[in-house]
Amino acid sequence: MNKKPHADHIYIEALLKNDSRVLSKLYEKFSHKIVAYVRKNNGNADDAQDIIQETLVTIYNQAKEKKFILTCPFDAYFYLLCKRRWLNELKKRGNNRVTILEDEASIKDEHEQQVEETEIFEQQSQLFESKFKELGVKCQELLKATFKIKSMEEVAEFLGVTYGYARKKKSQCMGKLTQLVKNSNEFQQLKGY
Amino acid sequence: MEELKYLEFDKFLNNELTETEKISFEERLNSDADFKQEFEIYKALETSLSSKFENEEAEKELRNTLTELGSTYIKDKIQTETKTITKTKTSETKVISLKRYRNLMIAASIALLIGFFIFKNGKPVYSDFSKHNSLELVVRGDNNETINKAEEAFNNKNYKTAFAQLTILEEQLPNDVEIQLYKGICLTEMDQFSQAETIFNSISEGDSAFKYKATWYKALNLLKQENFEACKEVLKTIPESTEEFEQAKKLLKKL
Repeated sequence: MNKKPHADHIYIEALLKNDSRVLSKLYEKFSHKIVAYVRKNNGNADDAQDIIQETLVTIYNQAKEKKFILTCPFDAYFYLLCKRRWLNELKKRGNNRVTILEDEASIKDEHEQQVEETEIFEQQSQLFESKFKELGVKCQELLKATFKIKSMEEVAEFLGVTYGYARKKKSQCMGKLTQLVKNSNEFQQLKGY
Repeated sequence: MEELKYLEFDKFLNNELTETEKISFEERLNSDADFKQEFEIYKALETSLSSKFENEEAEKELRNTLTELGSTYIKDKIQTETKTITKTKTSETKVISLKRYRNLMIAASIALLIGFFIFKNGKPVYSDFSKHNSLELVVRGDNNETINKAEEAFNNKNYKTAFAQLTILEEQLPNDVEIQLYKGICLTEMDQFSQAETIFNSISEGDSAFKYKATWYKALNLLKQENFEACKEVLKTIPESTEEFEQAKKLLKKL
């Protein structure tokens, strides 16, 4: 897939660098529309702020982990993501009979594809995180140490075990986690692989 | 068997398999769909968790930035909207964010509530200013028992008993101004205003160390009677150099 970054990719870069100057431009330019949408649909400014923040953090994580490249204008991509997140939130709150005011029909396929990419990324991360929490405390600790420290020798030293044991334990815990993910309903629905 | 499989995943991802092991691993990936699926999950978990834990701190910092920006831009905009002020291009203008504004409103209303408790009809009340120093009549003469009883009663706000004990003491120490002053305080507490005033007047007109303390209590005696104007006038006679001045100033301000 040929991925040529859109000029708006600067916003993704700004998230990665925690560049408050560019990020304030982002808020200035794009938040208004989202706030208006949320407020029109049973929400308030606080809700909108949460929606915007969570969406941006997700994009940040995706960019960190998957080297996400934005290939479409940020505006439409961001707006659609926030909108769908808000609709999900309303569903979660049990607000099923909300009349959703549809206001835009011009979302292009390209945007939609990027939006879906981000959404799948998030669902997957959430699934992994929730399954990780189902692991025993020992496994959680060991894996956390593994991913933070990186070198297995140091992990072994940190935990006061032999290298061989740390290694074996790590793959055991990861195996367990793999099973938990594989057997979950959410995974059956996720077809991102 | 299972355990070995995951250890093999791990080794493969770390590029630690020998050439022959690698070839047979890849062959199995191609022929065994279940094996392949588990490997894909394992790999995805590895990437996802390692990224998550590595970036934990950075994500927290980003969140801080976003929270800040969110309250600046989102709340500000809404406020400017309601005020129908067009946003300036610089957007550096510090408008109080709605959240902060709301907090201020809450703070203000709490202050107002407290105000209602303290000041009936907006006027200060006696009890807010009648935190008497405890009575400590260092040893005067040798009648310690009466002193103890007087102190104990006064400090426990048992003014009737205190007054009686102080009266006994007064007979023994007729020139002790402090005893008279505390008798006066007891009288105010017992709503014997005119008797109290007589005592405070005589002390404040004298030259003892308790001159201005007595003046202060004369004012409080008037405050308790809600005679605010007279109270004010008395307070104004307390000079700046005295211990009582600060309290007097505070009370004057509220009157």
